[in-house]
Amino acid sequence: MATSSEVREGFLCPMCMKDLGTVSMLQDHFEEEHSNEDKDVLQQLRGLFGKAKKKILGEKENHDYVDQSDSVTDTYSANLTKTGYDSSLWDPQEIGMIRSHTDVFKATRGARVDRFVVETNKLIIRLDKLTGSNSPTDTGKRKAFEKSVVPWMPDKYVQTCPDCTRNFSLTRRRHHCRLCGGIMCDKCSHFLPHTFAKKLTNPAFQTEMEVGFLKRTGSNSSLNSLMSPEGEAHIRTCNNCRKLLERRDQQIQQRNVKPPIVIMYENLQSYVENAQMLLKEFIPMVESLSCGESTYNMYTAQQYRNKILKMYESIDSVSKRIWVYETNADPLPPATQLKMQKNIRTMATSFMQDNMIGLQALPSEEHYKKLQEARKIEIQQRIADERQAAAEAQEKERKQQEQRETTIKHQIHPSNRDSDQPAKTQKKSGWIPEETSIRYSDKDDPMVQQMNIIRGYIKQARQAEKYDEVKMLEQNLKDLQQEYLKQQRQNWS
Amino acid sequence: MNVILAIKQYISKMIEDSGPGMKVLLMDKDTTSIVSMVYAQSEILQKEVYLFERLDSAGRETMKHLKCIAFVRPTKENVELLAQELRMSKYGLYYIYFSNVISKQDVKVLAEADDQEVVREVQEFFGDYVAVSPHLFTLNINGCCQGLNWSTDSLARSTQGLTSVLLSLKKCPMIRYQNSSETARRLAESVRQTINKEAALFEFRKTDVAPILLILDRRDDAVTPILNQWTYQAMVHELIGIANSRINLSNVPGISKELQEVVLSPEHDEFYANNMYSNFGEIGNNIKDLMDEFQTKSKSHEKIESISDMKQFLEQYPQFKKMSGTVSKHVTVVGELSRLTNKHHLLEVSELEQDIVCQGDHSAILQRIKTLIASEKIQHIDMLRLVMLYALRYESHSNNDVSGLVDALRKRGVSDRLRMMVHAVLDYGGKKSRGSDLFGNQDIVSLTKKFFKGVKGVENVYTQHKPLLYSLLDQLIKGKLKEGAYPYLGVSQLKDRPQDIIVFVIGGTTFEEALAIHTLNRSSPGIRIIIGGTTVHNFKSFLDEVAQAIQGQSSSNVGPRYHRR
Repeated sequence: MATSSEVREGFLCPMCMKDLGTVSMLQDHFEEEHSNEDKDVLQQLRGLFGKAKKKILGEKENHDYVDQSDSVTDTYSANLTKTGYDSSLWDPQEIGMIRSHTDVFKATRGARVDRFVVETNKLIIRLDKLTGSNSPTDTGKRKAFEKSVVPWMPDKYVQTCPDCTRNFSLTRRRHHCRLCGGIMCDKCSHFLPHTFAKKLTNPAFQTEMEVGFLKRTGSNSSLNSLMSPEGEAHIRTCNNCRKLLERRDQQIQQRNVKPPIVIMYENLQSYVENAQMLLKEFIPMVESLSCGESTYNMYTAQQYRNKILKMYESIDSVSKRIWVYETNADPLPPATQLKMQKNIRTMATSFMQDNMIGLQALPSEEHYKKLQEARKIEIQQRIADERQAAAEAQEKERKQQEQRETTIKHQIHPSNRDSDQPAKTQKKSGWIPEETSIRYSDKDDPMVQQMNIIRGYIKQARQAEKYDEVKMLEQNLKDLQQEYLKQQRQNWS
Repeated sequence: MNVILAIKQYISKMIEDSGPGMKVLLMDKDTTSIVSMVYAQSEILQKEVYLFERLDSAGRETMKHLKCIAFVRPTKENVELLAQELRMSKYGLYYIYFSNVISKQDVKVLAEADDQEVVREVQEFFGDYVAVSPHLFTLNINGCCQGLNWSTDSLARSTQGLTSVLLSLKKCPMIRYQNSSETARRLAESVRQTINKEAALFEFRKTDVAPILLILDRRDDAVTPILNQWTYQAMVHELIGIANSRINLSNVPGISKELQEVVLSPEHDEFYANNMYSNFGEIGNNIKDLMDEFQTKSKSHEKIESISDMKQFLEQYPQFKKMSGTVSKHVTVVGELSRLTNKHHLLEVSELEQDIVCQGDHSAILQRIKTLIASEKIQHIDMLRLVMLYALRYESHSNNDVSGLVDALRKRGVSDRLRMMVHAVLDYGGKKSRGSDLFGNQDIVSLTKKFFKGVKGVENVYTQHKPLLYSLLDQLIKGKLKEGAYPYLGVSQLKDRPQDIIVFVIGGTTFEEALAIHTLNRSSPGIRIIIGGTTVHNFKSFLDEVAQAIQGQSSSNVGPRYHRR
């Protein structure tokens, strides 16, 4: 109350200096009019009156003032009526205790699995040698070569086939596994075609031409061709070695092959992620635009919207395809598979429901203009109102302000009168705001000017698609607006 | 100290750790309830978990392109099942989480089964309890005692559950227990033992004031679970029954198919969250408000006066019904509650129940009970409530007429099994087994308090009763809880005002007690209390609890007392 010289008495509101007449009226007035403005003052006021009342009137506390200090039973019933579940009661908390056994697990597993791995690796190396380029094709030499790579077990040690336990005889001859040198009968032998061997021994070969090769492995590694002694070159192995090699093959296969449903699903996920990113940009745009603000460009917003709608279509179609995938196949895929496909579709639809179906439409061109007008009027109105309310109080400060205004203006934009410079060419480092294209009235408060300038920058930054800078500038703008409001309030109080 | 959040954080960490890709969640019976209480299916689908399978279900399909998150309790069966699973792996990769401590030996068994190297993680995440609300958890043990003492399995499970609560909240508490209860002492010691054994797990940053774990026995307050309830959550549990947040409405006349089983979860239902602790009258109003709002929205000018009007209104607006699944759900539930209340004259019953426990005049009470039992209108089970309450309240009254009342029950055709319960409850929670003054609220001081309250306004006659737990915790907070009756385990004692309090009720807690804790949390700033029990009771489940606790009681042990009547 620097400006008013008279000393007033009565139940004055500390915010607007109205005389309310009675304590309770003042309190009501304060709660209604100023409760958002200053909680602390309200609390203070309440406390003050509470104490004063007790002292002066000797009055017992009215039940409005009953608080925790009262007896427990009272609060019990008082609190019963309050609403139930209040998450604000619960502080954020860190995740609970966790203990990992992964290391112990892996160490134990490692010791065990090593046995397989070492064995399998040995087989692979032998396989490589046997099918390599310097292996002789002549049958006689070949046998000697095979024996030199893998020593064969002497015939006399084995009287029965270890697999089928039948005795060897003239008709049931002994055969050697070319990979471990062990002995089994012909029926218990397995045959490994060279192409499959190549696949096992040369992972690099595989990754290079993955697609072509993978198609062929389907038939090559199938049971039939392994078993069949005819056709292409092959190697005789025992059951044990076959198992080890097949285990290796499966592991590699699993690492490198994606079933179609996984590929579809990965597409779906990438669309969802994309849509989420776009939405994050778009939502502040549409909110700002539908308030009639000019921070964002109508056209870019429209583009965003179109992009999002396109994502929406993709999500819809891919998730539908996942949903019906193989539903007409014969035989039907297992029920769990179908359930999962349905769940993926559910996820996609609920994502779309949450984010996209309610996608706010942009205001139309005309509507937007109207909005802008309305906003302009509203802002002017507000400023006018504030001005008027503060008119008397401001009179003095006005002059100071105007002084300050001019100095600040000069400081901030010394070149603001040179109009319409051509747009600066964009450098590698990115975009530089132009000060010139912003118009503002001289009468405005320097803060308002500054805000207009920043709005202009934001517009430019948006055109230059520098969204991180837009974000930063928006933060600045917000800070400024708050500061401005605060100043205004100070001015007219 | 929010148990819902604690479990949620565990689950989402598991899912995050497995990285992107389609996932299946493999659980056992217990962990299924643990997970389903905190996550709605739609919520978990968004985290790329598309299948939910039970570890013990045979013949699951092989789906190598899925990552498997296995969250199971560390039981012997589960370890065996998992080992089998790994030998014939059905999914591409496995992330294994046990809900409690697992032995090194079991880890090795699993490691030896993992020839295909499909396991990526083996960890302990201590979510070994069912979180019902932020401040309420249960272990879903039905009938934890036999022969008035722990059954071995239940003691082990309770210890595991309680220690996992502590670990998930990172609390290493001082333990106090109810001295009059052997079970409470045994559980306290068992928890202490686990803490000592797993000392490495319990090394948390020291807080200024140590948390308190207070272990109580249901037998100290057998009254609370007998009473009819009038707050929404408690009432639904009492009259319909809540199991893992689900209620079964299939017995409601004229129920539509989609409402036969509904979920009531404060996590996913705003109306429920706001009204779970409101009393029946308020809920009626709030639902009406909600309906009015919808009505104005749909520009209907029909008057909605009664609950049946509301139902009609909903049926006329199918699209509205779809939109407001929540509203129609609550209208149905509240409608059913009010139907049951009217049909069985529960207001009348409840008023008398409250008077039995909170008022003093024996002969008047006895007369009223006799009149009510004689009338045709009330259910057998409610008659039983009244007689049980009477028996507990006037156990040592000189003119006690329990046998007369039991006889009256017999005349009304109440079954033997139910009539037995009157004596059973005396064995379970009678004067001899109580450590506290259960009916102590009726002394001079509280009477004068009531007088003053009467001046201020009419107290709700249906909610006069406050659970014993409420005053115990009030004393604990004020530092007035008696050392003798609730001693500390060990030498260290809390000097300051407690801040974090974990209460555990052996034999089950109730929603009325959960509400009491909620009220205390709201009214005592700086203090956070959570409550748990071996289960959450309504009257029916409490009868089973008592029946089982009494059963198998060796006659040499408590025989004379049992046969006295």
